[in-house]
Amino acid sequence: MAANSMTAKQAVVGGLWTEVPVLRLVLGMCPTLAVTASVKPALTMGLSVLFVLFCSNIVVSLMRNLLKPHLRILMFTLTIATFVTIADLFLKAFMPEMSEVLGPYVGLIIVNCIIIARAEACASKNGIFISAVDAISMGVGFTIVLCLLASVRELISAGTIFGVQIMWKSFVPWVAMSLPVGAFITLGLMLGLVNLLTGKKS
Amino acid sequence: MFKAITEYFEKSWLLIFSAFIFGLLLALTNSAWSGKIEQNKAGKLSGLMSTLITDANKFEVVMPAVKIELSKGKFATTDIYKAVAGDKTVGFCFKAEGTGFADKIELVIAVDAAFEKILGFNVLASSETPGFGDKIAKSFYNDQYKGAPAEMLNLVKKGDDKIIDNEIVAISGATVSSTAVVTIFNHYIEPVKQQLKQKGIIK
Repeated sequence: MAANSMTAKQAVVGGLWTEVPVLRLVLGMCPTLAVTASVKPALTMGLSVLFVLFCSNIVVSLMRNLLKPHLRILMFTLTIATFVTIADLFLKAFMPEMSEVLGPYVGLIIVNCIIIARAEACASKNGIFISAVDAISMGVGFTIVLCLLASVRELISAGTIFGVQIMWKSFVPWVAMSLPVGAFITLGLMLGLVNLLTGKKS
Repeated sequence: MFKAITEYFEKSWLLIFSAFIFGLLLALTNSAWSGKIEQNKAGKLSGLMSTLITDANKFEVVMPAVKIELSKGKFATTDIYKAVAGDKTVGFCFKAEGTGFADKIELVIAVDAAFEKILGFNVLASSETPGFGDKIAKSFYNDQYKGAPAEMLNLVKKGDDKIIDNEIVAISGATVSSTAVVTIFNHYIEPVKQQLKQKGIIK
């Protein structure tokens, strides 16, 4: 299937299952590992990526016929950086505590491979509708994976989800799960599970 | 020459035009939200200062942008706030920063009106390791500073953290973060005291 003949259905299925960024394409690893210690920052990061992905896909799709080969990557980066800065300013203005928790990782969305990959593979070759659907499905797929990963880590490392106590009182939290090692273990198990479900072999 | 200029604009007009539009968009966004962002920062600082000096009903800047040497050739600036209760000065507060284990640590430090005793500190920003370095904000470590003399502090690995003096007991497994906090205090306390003395604000 050529990317420029993508249908809305293919875009939805791709973003939510066959090409779900973290688990199938193994893209966007930096925020996946860094902000999934608890669900709130993971959800905020997921929604921020969704916003940037949506806006940049729309803009790239609008200018796709004007893009010259020597300007492609430069234009993608300029577009993405603009929307990332807006997302960063929004968090600083309206969610200051979350902005501090996410720290430099909001700014690092600029170099998130998912966004530049969608700009190149979809938005630069398709119309606004398909680009928007692709951005939403990819963004939602990314957010779901981040939240799943964060739920497991938060539950084991603190006994809570969204800060609400879930585990029994005598439960002993495993703090290591909130550290990078916990992120690698959980992500590894999730990747293994998805590969098992899809029958993917090495 | 004219041909070269024309070719340049033919090749890059989209980039120049987009940069202008995106720049305008960012400028508008920033001007719309910068007030709120500054308000959030000031609110957080004021809130943290209020928890350190509970008697105070307002905080006034007595010395703006005081220069502090963090290391050889590396400087930071901080505003010194006077905590006022009625018409009486009940203490001083200032922001302080230093390098921690993961990234920069920013603290708000409070000292009494005579600049003799530390009233405590709060963490304004830190990216220290969860479960280890982030314990600098926990009371078992933080409380050691409340009432400690406003002079050079020493970090010790073992000791009684209930004894309030200039010896601070490190957090087990987070010596770097513990050292960073003590270093921040040592970089700021003496210069701030000297500058307040020079201005005649304290004796």
